[in-house]
Amino acid sequence: MGAVVIKKLLIWMPFLFGIGFIAPLTAQLMTAWDVQPPLGLSPIAFGLIFGGLWGLYANIGGRWL
Amino acid sequence: MDRPVDGLAQGDARETFAAVGEAALIEGRSEGGAAERTAFPLPKGDGLDKHTRVQLLKEERAIAAKYMSDPRKMRIYTVVTLTCFAMWLAFFPLTMLDVVPLWPCFVLSCIFAAGGYITSHEAMHDNIGRRGTKYRFWNELVGEVSTIILIFPFSMARMMHLHHHYHCNHPENDPDYTDSASGPLAAWVKTWLNRQPGADGSIHHYKRVLQRIGTPAAAKALRDTAYLQLFAMFFMFAMCWTGYAFEAALLWWLPRHIGLSYIRYWLSWAPHHPREGRDRYSNTRVFRTVFGHWLSMGMQYHVVHHLYPGIPNHATKPAYYELKPILQKRGVDCSAL
Repeated sequence: MGAVVIKKLLIWMPFLFGIGFIAPLTAQLMTAWDVQPPLGLSPIAFGLIFGGLWGLYANIGGRWL
Repeated sequence: MDRPVDGLAQGDARETFAAVGEAALIEGRSEGGAAERTAFPLPKGDGLDKHTRVQLLKEERAIAAKYMSDPRKMRIYTVVTLTCFAMWLAFFPLTMLDVVPLWPCFVLSCIFAAGGYITSHEAMHDNIGRRGTKYRFWNELVGEVSTIILIFPFSMARMMHLHHHYHCNHPENDPDYTDSASGPLAAWVKTWLNRQPGADGSIHHYKRVLQRIGTPAAAKALRDTAYLQLFAMFFMFAMCWTGYAFEAALLWWLPRHIGLSYIRYWLSWAPHHPREGRDRYSNTRVFRTVFGHWLSMGMQYHVVHHLYPGIPNHATKPAYYELKPILQKRGVDCSAL
């Protein structure tokens, strides 16, 4: 059971990395550089959309770029 | 004596090879001098008669014996490893509390990430403490600690590196063969591409090789890798979501990537390019670089390491120059240095 959970976590790691790492990093970078997110979003909401989509792209496409 | 087949595990290798043979040498299990610690049997067909080859081998072993690792003189590796690891751990609270600025800690973390592989590498070959000796604990500790920053567990690192020695430059069986590239720039790019989620290089390739090996040791290495990867990821996630994303990125995530690319280039691509030779005198190349001995991490003399893995990294340079006349007679292109 544990092994199955770990395997699934690792399979989805790019997506998890997107929301777990890229999203808050993006939000903190925007705040530090005083960049306003579009559409009236909060920095973390923008970070979650950006990081989540990028992670999903990496998960599906197998590459970050 | 053939090299081990790819499915051969470490345990099998010990049974298959004589104690003074290839597996014993690479794994650092031979306690004898260099005379008993040659990495590979001498190949035939090098144009030398048997008497000459035997005489050259005797001379080669006599020189190598002078440079073999002595655990008492390897303590510096342990001291440096533990000091750097402690510093790296301290960087987290110190930067989070704004006691020290982030940028010098980032630079040092990159150096620790790349340099950690060197100390771990000595432990892979048991050069810091051989099995059954009082130094063994330190050997294993150095190995385990050194590559944490790379998120690369010692069990996997050691097993894959020993397989690299067993199958050096074999397209299928050398775990590092995926680092091959046409030139320096392509090699740097390849180090990045190999780490992409869908790529079959770097740690992804190692996982596949370990699954193919399928022994309990390989299963443990795979388990260790999964645990360490998950721990590192969730540690970084926790830091990011509590407001310390810059610290997580610049103390661990980015140093890991820079360190991995650096060691992939200097320790794998540079000394083995173009990965054509398969015997003990041709599976590495002697090269000169403007980056010098320290920045290339001593890899210009990698031929010495593949001949005698028991010679520690810091001793490969003097060992090379003393071995050079013999290496030239054996057909090694030593024109670069």
